[in-house]
Amino acid sequence: MVSIDLQSRTPIYEQIVNGFSRLCLIGALHAHDKLPSVRSLALDLGINPNTVQKAYQILENKGLIYSIEGKGSFISDEAQLSSQKYSQICEHLKAAVTDAYTQGLPKQQAQIVLDDVYSGRSAGND
Amino acid sequence: MIEINSLTKKFQGGITAVDEMSAYIETGSIYGLVGSNGSGKSTLLRLISGVYKPDNGIVLIDGTSPYENPEVKSRLFFVSDNPYFIHQCNVMEMAKFYKMAYSRFSDERFNYLRSVFPIDPNMRIVNMSKGMQRQAALMLALSVNPDYLLLDEAFDGLDPVIRQVIKRLLADGITEHNMTAIISSHNLRELEDLCDHVGLLHKGKFIFNRELDDIKLTIQKVQGVFNPVPPPEKLKDLNILRITQQGSLLNMIIRGDREEIRQKLNQLNPTFLEMVPPTLEEIFIYELEAANYDVNSILL
Repeated sequence: MVSIDLQSRTPIYEQIVNGFSRLCLIGALHAHDKLPSVRSLALDLGINPNTVQKAYQILENKGLIYSIEGKGSFISDEAQLSSQKYSQICEHLKAAVTDAYTQGLPKQQAQIVLDDVYSGRSAGND
Repeated sequence: MIEINSLTKKFQGGITAVDEMSAYIETGSIYGLVGSNGSGKSTLLRLISGVYKPDNGIVLIDGTSPYENPEVKSRLFFVSDNPYFIHQCNVMEMAKFYKMAYSRFSDERFNYLRSVFPIDPNMRIVNMSKGMQRQAALMLALSVNPDYLLLDEAFDGLDPVIRQVIKRLLADGITEHNMTAIISSHNLRELEDLCDHVGLLHKGKFIFNRELDDIKLTIQKVQGVFNPVPPPEKLKDLNILRITQQGSLLNMIIRGDREEIRQKLNQLNPTFLEMVPPTLEEIFIYELEAANYDVNSILL
């Protein structure tokens, strides 16, 4: 369901959190869909069940999932998910900024672009 | 829960293998034991499993000392770095032996594990390769359904497929009956993915014993470009473990809170600042460097 990259510096629990967030955003998971149990996900990925438990706890705290005693964890209403879109937008922005950085754009200039956009100076101006 | 308090074990020749150690290991966790060679990992595991009698201090398993205590010992299984098998025995015969020693030995479990591990249970263990002997030891260990599974470098010599099988069996044991696993290893990459708690040993003492994700927050790897590069006195209120400079680029290993470090460095007007959490291997090296186990003095 979610895949993890063991070579990444991102902690595994964070990868699981991001993985489920992403699956919701791309529409692979819908409200009230059941998540795999802690046991089955840990067995599938060959990872520590405590790590999966921690990820599910974070997802629940974020309001992305809810759990019913004895039944498991489920995706919560999509309305609550919309706020999670910000995290994806941030990732895109970060990728763009990283790209600009690696191509040598000075921080000051990036700051100018950012300020321009937020103050509306570059709106509709291509 | 395993509770260790002021635990000390000395050997002939004035060697103090375990020196006033204190720690807790929570039930249901996968605990990684790492450390320099001769730091006391195996001795600690032998003390926990009741093979050695402590010279001083205590080790308690769910409140009871394991030394010469068959009840406690029946709930734990220790796979040593050099597993012992009775001369000329095969796995079936060893299973019979463990069934006598361990009341919890489950035939059902053993038969299941026989189908999981690709080794011939009727082959003499002495004729098996090192990795196959390890598999035999793990197969027998898991047949006992232990509450505490102690693995001394047990992953070493196993092929990647079997490693994955073992990881799944560990995950199964933890979710099914809240097993606790303590794994000593030098394969830090693997422990990092597997463990939730890690203890670092050096010269018979704990350097730290904490949740892995917490440890990663206490040390930061920082890369910063400064124009001009700040003089050393401007950096002195940062707890810098290591610093290298290439032109205007500073690579630093800094101990402390991520946001606090970021704030302090931002006051020095960096043109670029990047912070990444360290890997377990990096933490191992920097912490031991700080403990004067100097890598640079060993490297030529």
